[in-house]
This record gives sequence, C-alpha cells and structure tokens, in this order.
Amino acid sequence: MKRETIVHLIKDWRVALLLLLVAGSLIGIYLTPPNPANGLEGNLQFGLDLQGGSWLQMEFQSVVVAYSTDKPVGDLIENLQKSLEVDVVQIDQNHLEIRKSVSRADLEPLFAASDAKIVTYHEGVSTFTADEVKRILNDKVNALGMQDARINLLTPTGSEYPQYVRIELAGVDMATAQEIVGKQGMFEIRIQTSGNETEHVLFGDQITSVGVPQRDTRSQAWGVGFTLSDAGADAFRDAALKYGAIDNPNAHNLVMLLDNKTVYSAPLSGDLAAQLRSAPVRSLSASTGTGDAGLEAAMTLEIHLRAGALPVKVDVVGSGSVPAALGEHFKTTVAIAGLFALLTVGVVIYYRYREPSIVIPMLAINFSEIIILLGIARFIQQLDLAAIAGLIAVVGTGIDQLVIITDEVLHEGRVPSPSLYMKRYSRAFGIIAVSAATVMFAMLPLALMDLSTLRGFAIITILGVLIGILVTRPAYGKIIMEILSK
Amino acid sequence: MESVRYDINKYSPRQMVVLPLVLLLLAGIVLGYTMLATGLPLKPGIDFAGGTAVTAFTSDSRETIEATFAGYPLLSVGEGIGGGKYIQFGPMDDARYQSLVALINEKYPDAKVDQIGETFGKTLQGQAFLALIFSFVGMSVVVLIAFRNLVPAGAVVLAAFADIAVTAAIMQVVGIPLSLGTTAALLMLIGYSVDSDILLTTRLLKRKGKLDEKLAGAFRTGIIMTTTTLAAIAAMWVVSTAGQVQIISDIASVLLIGLFVDLMNTWMLNAGILKGYILKGGGKK
Repeated sequence: MKRETIVHLIKDWRVALLLLLVAGSLIGIYLTPPNPANGLEGNLQFGLDLQGGSWLQMEFQSVVVAYSTDKPVGDLIENLQKSLEVDVVQIDQNHLEIRKSVSRADLEPLFAASDAKIVTYHEGVSTFTADEVKRILNDKVNALGMQDARINLLTPTGSEYPQYVRIELAGVDMATAQEIVGKQGMFEIRIQTSGNETEHVLFGDQITSVGVPQRDTRSQAWGVGFTLSDAGADAFRDAALKYGAIDNPNAHNLVMLLDNKTVYSAPLSGDLAAQLRSAPVRSLSASTGTGDAGLEAAMTLEIHLRAGALPVKVDVVGSGSVPAALGEHFKTTVAIAGLFALLTVGVVIYYRYREPSIVIPMLAINFSEIIILLGIARFIQQLDLAAIAGLIAVVGTGIDQLVIITDEVLHEGRVPSPSLYMKRYSRAFGIIAVSAATVMFAMLPLALMDLSTLRGFAIITILGVLIGILVTRPAYGKIIMEILSK
Repeated sequence: MESVRYDINKYSPRQMVVLPLVLLLLAGIVLGYTMLATGLPLKPGIDFAGGTAVTAFTSDSRETIEATFAGYPLLSVGEGIGGGKYIQFGPMDDARYQSLVALINEKYPDAKVDQIGETFGKTLQGQAFLALIFSFVGMSVVVLIAFRNLVPAGAVVLAAFADIAVTAAIMQVVGIPLSLGTTAALLMLIGYSVDSDILLTTRLLKRKGKLDEKLAGAFRTGIIMTTTTLAAIAAMWVVSTAGQVQIISDIASVLLIGLFVDLMNTWMLNAGILKGYILKGGGKK
C-alpha cells in the first residue's frame, strides 16, 4: 500500500476512531495503572473460574407479604411473631417481612386468625434488609483484609425483593470461605470504673434480639434498640449499681467492644439510671445522635450488636471453588482456543477469497474488535469463562458481517465507482444493522437477569455487536474501498 | 464453496421445504414426548436439576473414579486429554455433600467443585425459560419491523424457531443436557440464524435482477459466513473439550449442531418459502 493511501485512510474519521479506540483500550489495559508484573494480562479483571477462589450463593430464609387488615397492624405482627417464633418486620405501609421460609399456604390461616388477608406473597427480603446483609458480609470480609471480594444481591426477574446473596472470594478455598461467612465476632459490654479503667459487664450471648435503627420522637436522635436476657439484665443492673453509674452516669460510660475494639461508648441516660435503681431493665436502646450521621452510626452499631450474625437466616444453595492452578490452566486453554479460532477463521477466509489485501484487513479488524472489547471490559465486566465464550462468539458474528460487506461491495466485478460503492455498502450495512439488532434483543434478557451466571456472556456479546456496528464495520468499509480502488 | 454440492436453484419451493418441515415435526415429537415423560422438554443438567460437578486432573481411570465415588449419586465421568476428568453427581442432602467434599479434597485436592441446590436449580430453570421467551419475542419484533411484510418476516421467525427446536431435539437424542451454557448457546443461535436469513431476504426482495442469480449469490455469501463461523466454533470446541473447560465446550457443541441445522433451515426452509412467495408474485414493488 502506498504512503498516501495510508495517510488518507488515517484521516478518515471511521478509521481514526477505530485506531483511537484500539490505542485507548491498550492504554486502559496496560498503562492505567502500569502493571508490568501481570505481563500480557495487564489490568484485565478475571472471574473466579480463571483466577481461583470460591463462591457461595445463599438464599434468604424470608418472605415478604403484602397484607390488608382493618385491625391495628401491631397485633398482626405480634400474633405472627408468637406463632412462627421469628422476627416480623414492617417494611412499609402494607408490607411485612417475615424472617422465615414459610409457605403461603401456611401463612394464610395465621393471617386469617388476626383478621388479615395476604395480598401478595414473595420469597425474599426488603432491599433494606438485603443491604444490611451485604454490609455485614462486607465488614467481615474487610476485617480480614481481603480485597478481592464481590458481594452481590440477586433478585429473580419478576420480583422486586432480593432473594439471594452471592459472595465471591478470590484466592480463598471453600472451607475458609464458609468459615468467613459463618464467623461471628466476640461482643462485650464493659463499664467505665475510673479514668481509663473498665470492668466486664456481659458478653454478646446475653443479647437476645437487636432492632433496626429508629428515631426517638422526642429527641430526634437515632438509636438501636436491643434486648437482654434475664441474666444479662441482672448483670447489667448489678454493674451499674456497683460502680456508681446510677448515681453519676456521666463518669461511668458504657463501652461496647467487638473483638476487643471499642465500637460505642456513652453514659447511661438519666431515665435509664432511674429505672435501673428500682429493677433490672431488659429493653435497652443505644442512642447515636441526630441527622444522617446519627443514622449511619446506628446502622453500624446494629451490625456490631449482632456481632456479625446476619439479621436473616441464609441457606447455601450453591457453591463452588476453583484452585488457582486450575484457574491458570483454564486461562491458558481459553487463550489457545481464542487464538486457534482466529487462525482457523483466517484460513477459511483465505481459502475463499485468495486475496491477502482482503483477508489481512478482515483479520486485523476482527482482532482490533477483540482488543476494544477487552479494553471496555476492563472497566465494566470481569472476564469469566462465560464472558470469554461470548468473546469468541463475537469473532464468529464479526467475521460473518465482514463477509456480507465484502461480497456485497464486490458484487458484479471488482472496482465500483465511489458512488456505487457507497450504495452497495449502505445496503450491506442495512443487513448488518438488522442482524445486529436481533442479536442484541436475543441477548438482552440474559444481560438483565440477575440470576444467570451467563451475564458476562450476554454483556460481552451485546458490546461486541455494538462496537461492530458503530466502529469496526464502518472502518472496514472504508479500508476495503481504499484498497479496491488503488 | 466448491465442495458444497447443493444447487439451490434445482428444486421447487415445495421440495425445498419438505425435509426441514419433516425434521421440525420429528423434533416436536421428541421434545413433546420428553415433556410428557419428564415434565421438561429437555433433560436438565446440574445447573437446572441440582447436583455437583467436579473438574479434576488425575491419572486415575474412569473405573477407579467410579469405584471411589460408588456411595454417591454419581451421574457420569467425562474425560479430556492430559488426565482431565469431569465428574457429575446428582442432588444429595447436606450431610452427604459434606462427606463428598471431604472425599474430593482428600483424593483430588486441586479439583474445581461446583454445587447447585435442587430448588435453586428450579429457580434457574424458570429464569432461563423466561430468557428464552423474551429473546424470541424480541427477535420476532425486530424482524417484523425490519421487513414490514408478514410472509418474509414469518419465514425468518419460523426458520429461527426451527433452528432452536431441531437443535434441542438433537441435544436430547445425543444426550447433551440443558444447562446455563447450552441455554446461552440456543439463544446465540437466534442471532446466528437470523444473520443469514436476513441476508437472504434482503438480497431476494430488495435487489433487482433474476431470482436464480440472486438466490445463488446469497447462497454463496451465506455459505462462507456459516463455514467461517463453524470453523471458529469448531476450533473453540476442540480446544475447550481437550482442556476440560466444560461450559465453553457445552456452548460450542450446541452451536456446532445448531449451525448445521441452520444451514438447512436457511437454504431450504426459508429460501423455499421466499421463492414460492416471489414466484406467486409477492414482494413486487
């Protein structure tokens, strides 16, 4: 190819855009930040199956029910709590979260007994509870200094309530992963005696239930309510009396510790001190202050009070682990599969056209498409095995479409005039656009569905089709035109 | 491609559509029978039925493995090269599962283990079914809007449907279970199928010239398209099967079957319907 032809080509916006994106992708993968230690992999993020690690998928043992009743809802909640022996939380005006996996048929009579009706029934939890679970799991993972953890809430299509939580831990084996998720911290309440000295009052096992953050109607301060067992309440009162916290609350802060780290410290309120003087108190509330800061502190404190226990019971419904060595093996295998696929395509195309000036641009375009895809994926999508299958599928459709363009343009003789060329090109582009649209629609459900592990596959396929139709096909059309009219 | 000996202009529209329609009918019978017998049109794999899949590299023979796991609901042992083994178990209760995991850890500490609970599998099943329906409807709408003409658009949709149905029936016959991977492959088939169908329809309806020539031209392009895709997928299949990358191997094998089925459905069924439609005077502007 002559030098002018190349210069002329690069000045064309389609080709320029292609080159720009390829360069940008390479920079994204290798230079932001530079990562020479990773070699060819650069900054690409790999999924568990290629990297090694474990995943656990857990189902919330809980249902969300919309109800209707003429009676006060408090009675309904109380009755349900009593007969099911679980926490029942009102999540909005007409929805209850029942923290037990219980069927609709089993619930019907209980609701009827309280003169209430079930309007809708869904398995799952409120988004509030789900976020809390996610926060607790996050805290646990962070406490262990693990950086490569992904925690996702999954909502089945057709429901608005998260039903599963999936946790992925890179570089961790199954037993460790289960331990992390199940592990509970040691919670302790101590009381300040004098200066920096504190004395033990009770451990977390004396806390029988923990409420959700609530705002005090009088003081507007946020706080978390919790209940002590009888023994706990006695211990609490004894300590308060013994160290003089009842007479002089402000000199004797109540200190809460999780794994020996202070998570809360405040004096007894005047009201509580007065109540304790006469009898043990089981229901307590720790105030955390007003405004958003108070709410945030309350949410954190709630997690600490639970000492790492989740508010809802979860059952493991799926799990898996990949040793790092096997992940490495998969990585090599798919790299070979990809290269092999590209090579085979090259051979078949060459067999058909016997013209290097067509075959080389075709393969170059295909290759650049993969680089751009990887460049985008580096920011939005981890590469798991399914995503890589998508990548290879994109090579397939990509070549298909380049063949359509080539055949359409070359139709009846070799060198069409520019105007005829453009006409044929736009006709080919029409075919491609329709087929691209159908592929995108075919993949959209998979890309949007939370539950499929095939999300990566669908997202990569859709991205590939988009890049093809917007960037690489137009550039190919231009390049082929220049080459043919040389 | 020279090696393909199918002269697309030799046959009448009626002759062209017979074979694909018969196969579609047979596929319907296979899937319908399985549906009646098991409640599902296809045998579900571990993803949908629940169970445990183990990928391990070991020099142990199949018999040794079968003996090792005799006490568990062993379903199959697949072999790749280099000692790669793919071992599948049916659903079991938690105690059994924990003891299985302990056994696997002891025998094959470097194995990949994936487990899906039975009810969770059911949920995945429902979701995959929804995905398939949505995809198909979305595709049909796009095709209808693109051609704004019932017969050609219907032919494209019918061909895509036949692709999925016949491929699914072949899967059932040769024993490839329905998994997340193969569901994705069936969805992908919609995309590949529509590619060549649209090329055919556009060439025949929107271009001037003799029908025979247009059809032959479209056929030539279509064959190149499908053979290149086939080549890419075949390469992917060989490497992933040899390397025990199960999900990619699953996707590739279904796409391989599907692409062959698609060749037939595009160039016999869809081409036949279109030819008949044009010969009867349809599609004239």
